[in-house]
Amino acid sequence: MTDERTYRVDLMTRVEGEGRFVLRVKDGVVIDAELSIFEAPRFFEAFLRGRSLFEVPDLTARICGICPIAYQMSSARALEAALGLVPTPEIERLRRAIYCGEWIESHALHVFMLHAPDFLGYESAIEMARDHRAIVERGLRLKKTGNRLIEILGGRPSHPVSPRVGGLSKAPTVAALRAIRDELARGLEESLETVRLVARFPMPELEVDYVFASCVSGDAYPIERGDAIVLSGGRGVVPVASWDREMIERHAPHSNALQATLADGTPYLCGPQARLFHHAEKLHPVARDAMREVGLPREVKNPYRSIVVRAVELVHAFAEALALVERYEVPERSYVEGPLRAGVGAGASEAPRGLLWHRYEVSADGSVVSARIVPPTSQNQARIEADLRALGPSLLAMEHGAATRRAEQLIRSYDPCISCATHFLDLRIEPTHEGSA
Amino acid sequence: MGSEAHAPPARPRLGVFKLASCDGCQLTLIGCEDELLALSEKVDIAHFPEASSRTDVHGRFDVALVEGSVSAEWQREELLSIRERSKLLVTIGACATSGGVQALRNGKDVSEFVRAVYASPAYISTLDRSTPVSAHVSVDYELRGCPIDKHQLLEVLTALLVGRRPAIRDESVCMECKRRGNVCVLVAHGEPCLGPVVHAGCGALCPRFARGCYGCFGPKESPATAALAARLKELGVPAADLARRFRSISGGAPAFADEAAKQELEHD
Amino acid sequence: MTHPTKRIARAELDRLFALLSEDARVVHGPTVRDGAIVDAPLASVSELPIGWTDQQAPGRYRLTRRDDAAVFGFVVGPSSPKPLFFPPEETLYRAERRADGKVGFVPVVPSPAPKALLGVRACDVAAMRIQDRVFRDREHREPRYAARRDDTIVVGVHCLAPGPLCFCASMGAGPRVGEGADLALAERLDAGGHIFLVEALTARGQALLSRLEGSEASDEELRWRDEALASAERSMGRTLDTAELPGRLYAALDHPRWEEIASRCLACGSCTSVCPSCFCSGSDDPSDLEGAHTSHTRHWESCFTSAHGELHGHTTRPRTSERYRQWATHKFGAWVSQMGQSGCVGCGRCIAWCPSGIDLVAEVRAIADGVSPVTMPVAREVTAPREESLVPRAATVLARTVESSDVVTLSLRMEPDGRRDFAPGQFHQLSLPGVGEAPISISGDDGAGVEHTIRAVGKLTEALCALRVGAQLGVRGPYGRGWPMDELAGGPVVVVAGGIGLAPLREALRRMLADPERYPDVRLFYGARTPEDLLYGRELLGWIDRPGFDLHVTVDRAGPTWRGHVGVVTRLLRPATVPASARAILCGPEVMMRFTVDALAKLGLPHTRQWVTMERHMKCATGTCGRCQYGPHFVCKDGPVFRFDEVSMLFGRHGL
Ligand code: SF4
Ligand code: SF4
Ligand code: FES
Repeated sequence: MTDERTYRVDLMTRVEGEGRFVLRVKDGVVIDAELSIFEAPRFFEAFLRGRSLFEVPDLTARICGICPIAYQMSSARALEAALGLVPTPEIERLRRAIYCGEWIESHALHVFMLHAPDFLGYESAIEMARDHRAIVERGLRLKKTGNRLIEILGGRPSHPVSPRVGGLSKAPTVAALRAIRDELARGLEESLETVRLVARFPMPELEVDYVFASCVSGDAYPIERGDAIVLSGGRGVVPVASWDREMIERHAPHSNALQATLADGTPYLCGPQARLFHHAEKLHPVARDAMREVGLPREVKNPYRSIVVRAVELVHAFAEALALVERYEVPERSYVEGPLRAGVGAGASEAPRGLLWHRYEVSADGSVVSARIVPPTSQNQARIEADLRALGPSLLAMEHGAATRRAEQLIRSYDPCISCATHFLDLRIEPTHEGSA
Repeated sequence: MGSEAHAPPARPRLGVFKLASCDGCQLTLIGCEDELLALSEKVDIAHFPEASSRTDVHGRFDVALVEGSVSAEWQREELLSIRERSKLLVTIGACATSGGVQALRNGKDVSEFVRAVYASPAYISTLDRSTPVSAHVSVDYELRGCPIDKHQLLEVLTALLVGRRPAIRDESVCMECKRRGNVCVLVAHGEPCLGPVVHAGCGALCPRFARGCYGCFGPKESPATAALAARLKELGVPAADLARRFRSISGGAPAFADEAAKQELEHD
Repeated sequence: MTHPTKRIARAELDRLFALLSEDARVVHGPTVRDGAIVDAPLASVSELPIGWTDQQAPGRYRLTRRDDAAVFGFVVGPSSPKPLFFPPEETLYRAERRADGKVGFVPVVPSPAPKALLGVRACDVAAMRIQDRVFRDREHREPRYAARRDDTIVVGVHCLAPGPLCFCASMGAGPRVGEGADLALAERLDAGGHIFLVEALTARGQALLSRLEGSEASDEELRWRDEALASAERSMGRTLDTAELPGRLYAALDHPRWEEIASRCLACGSCTSVCPSCFCSGSDDPSDLEGAHTSHTRHWESCFTSAHGELHGHTTRPRTSERYRQWATHKFGAWVSQMGQSGCVGCGRCIAWCPSGIDLVAEVRAIADGVSPVTMPVAREVTAPREESLVPRAATVLARTVESSDVVTLSLRMEPDGRRDFAPGQFHQLSLPGVGEAPISISGDDGAGVEHTIRAVGKLTEALCALRVGAQLGVRGPYGRGWPMDELAGGPVVVVAGGIGLAPLREALRRMLADPERYPDVRLFYGARTPEDLLYGRELLGWIDRPGFDLHVTVDRAGPTWRGHVGVVTRLLRPATVPASARAILCGPEVMMRFTVDALAKLGLPHTRQWVTMERHMKCATGTCGRCQYGPHFVCKDGPVFRFDEVSMLFGRHGL
């Protein structure tokens, strides 16, 4: 008699976008592990062709409502590279500040609203609020501070209007930006509390040897800028411009997803764990102290523990934003300009959920000839499925519902952003699998 | 799933649904940080997959918020079913209201688009147009924006709960721009601005940030697109550029699509 | 007229600034921001646009450098003093509806720091006085406006170099700073140095002037100033002939140019928003999630929005040509009838800041030049303004009568005193916190309360109709001009009502029937859609036997049991039923009134013996929001009852 068990969730919740997963284990062997995405494709790369390059940040922002700034920033960088524009350090600091806002907003959302309910056993943060109102309120407060920071610098939290090729369309007054100082200071305290809180969460066990990929951003913990991309496992540093030669995307018939792996087929992980592994020493001292306090190693092999890494990055983002706000002076120019020229450029930045890489070819009249966008979720896709496989056998001892939830919790650990992924993912509708074991 | 049998004096049931979109509009609901918990006491947020694992895919709703455009057949079917099960259907955002940025594919050869984006085009099935919700079912209220504004979202929900008309103005962005005391970027800097024909709601963000409005909230009531196009041309904006400006975030809205087509014709 | 005038050195401006800042006064003045000269609170003289100027053309404004250090070497920028006193958005009151059905209203009145305005141009001083009339000094005294405006020091600047878009001289508003300012500066910058002539126009100005260090202005200096002003007057960028302009514009309501402008006009509302005198506003009632706590807010509105012309979910001015015509005819025409002066001060802002570059002066000239004028109504004399807080008071439902399937009469007790003072034909603003406010005509006094007959056509009226006895709501009023009861006395009175139009007539009928000596002959002609829609059936039947009263009823559609007339109400109007000496009062749908007026005219009743009621969506009901405008009239205060000749040139016209 064969023992075949199927764990599946047809509508993944508390993730951004629409996806489902199926994990089938037959006689203790995982025979199928798929995270599939049924979001409709939105064809960004195709319709970007022929647009003015100055419109690109506004348009690519619409790929994702949670991390629009990442899209705006990676595309602006790629286009600046194509035009040979170099933003001033003052502009870079403003960009970092608004990007910190997005990290805060996104990480607070994920830690408190999406992921924490898994650890504490609730269906949602709203339900969790019934027993843990203070925790949820703290999460909402932190998130709101991130949103406010983005609003000051860009007008609104989702699809802010100031990021542009060359910088920001307008820099805030000192008074406008300083207005958020106290809120950031309080957020910093509360984010430290958050690290302590999530570090105490019961952690399911799983250990994975990852190849970590993340941006390198000079001496800084990488956020708004990728000078190069670094890989672990002695694979060295890759220039941003040639990332598409190091990594390949495959659209496999038996998976609903197009998956990126390294050229040799190795899946890799980008995101908080990767950043921490490569750049822990560049974290703000307060964040490093927090790491030490809760005993978080730089190499986090347990994907569930990413919630702690995210909390540490939350501390970093608050500390960084606070410092930027305190030292802020209105720059002479909020963006740089230069003559149009034909060219090709690639750009990368660290979206909250990982490496986001863009590449554009532009013509001499400033229109886009071709576009390529590689979002973090597509890069992590193969890794997620591999980890699901690794998880499979351990589920057999669990009650079915709990096992399914455990699998879902694992997927949430990567903070997948499915809308981002859909610009390239298949939307084949799977025939419904028959019931579970 | 709500069992009607011993439901306490009915809190209205709210469902949040997603079609083709970026999630930004439904995120706006989670972004009501100060009101979310209070709202969840007033309404039963019965289906909101982005925020909760308690879902009710097949349930009935007093209010359904629908985000996203219809760009695949299964979405059309889902939408028909949502409509059937919902007393009030409110579209949230530019995708649901006018097809969204993905409507830029409308009128283009989609199979060619698929080849451009996908490594193995054979696995892709999609409709060749991205269409607004109202092209398929009747809509009770359309909330504009890319993304929607959180205050307007709360206003619509409140108005529906209290039973009054949402106080949402169909005026131009210029009205908000002027109320805020912005310096008009079109007049003072010659920046092309769509504000005069765009529906208010954002608080005139772009002019506040020293740039022209690019139309997230779609056309206002009786938009004078031809007059604006003529004026922008006087200011030196070429027809091809005008066409692109109208065919952007809200390019699927008929008033903008038509003006874009006119400009494209002129350009050719 | 000579005012005490001092000559002060440029450096003395700092002292002036310090004097203005005394007593925690906030000094507002021009400063450079975002590529324009805008008004803002200032910390010192150095924030003034020293050495800056502007270049203006229709739809174009550019900030440029001067080659000297003039302090006021520019003309008006996009901002006027208007928002300081009439903010773009403000809360008028808060309302709450408690679980027991009681309501409460709390006015919100600001107590701002006093202000000093430095560097105000003559046109803007004139515009402030116009707004003062609208909000403070004429019929009503709006406490919020007054609180912001009352204690304000105004330091004007004479315009010695008007811009290409300026035409204040044509409008009688400049270039010399006139009444409304405390001090007026004239800046002189020539080989002889950089000085200011400071002229005190008020006692307050005089007090300030006496504390400034300087010498009395010499005759040469005063002559220099007067010549400079005279030359400024001659060098206005634009001129407009304002003689009989209102009548000429109203004579040109059908000019083809209105349509032509609509091909350029964006209907964006920028012009009315930058206008220093435009006062139209809209209001909203945002509430908390239960609708228990509401704020009643007011915001700048424009005749270019659809909301401004809204009536029963439609807009009375759907076309851009109609909206533009509304603007121009109001500004230059209706305003004169409403306030006794033009609404335009010739600042040229609407020309500069029109994104489409439309030149109002050129358009008005193209339309009204050479047209022979029609006669316009004159502004009503108003004695003292009455305090008007725009805040409702609570009222309690005493009785609720169902009149038909969708019509209910509520008898209301006005809290706290139960007063029942109103004139037949007046209306109240009824409101429900969280839902909204609407004008409802008063349909009677039942001895205990004031009656209101309401048809459920929208969310608010549905909610009003559903109120139970004991429930509370908000009431403002009574407002408006009612039926001409005195003029009706003596001779035969013909009353023509259509549908719910009987409601505002009922109390007039009751009073006439109660006083047969004054009103010996009253004839009611009443038409409704169906017999079921006839209002007040029992009461009407009760009147039939009264001597001197005739009742004629007709319906559009009837069932088999109906034995009365079928057809439109005008069919009942015949020489046999309408004496040629009668006076007539009418209320019903606009089409019905139009046909009735014609039919009555044929029967020998001139327009001066017929009164009609006009319907517009009233918001403020006090002549301050502009929503109810009907040509030169405010329906809310000049109406709703009009003698027909007052409105005959407008009646039945689209887009007004
Ligand atoms: S900047 Fe744009 S939105 Fe603002 S007033 Fe000017 S044209 Fe209108
Ligand atoms: S593009 Fe227009 S609608 Fe969108 S944020 Fe900017 S001003 Fe507002
Ligand atoms: S002016 Fe406001 S209602 Fe008449």
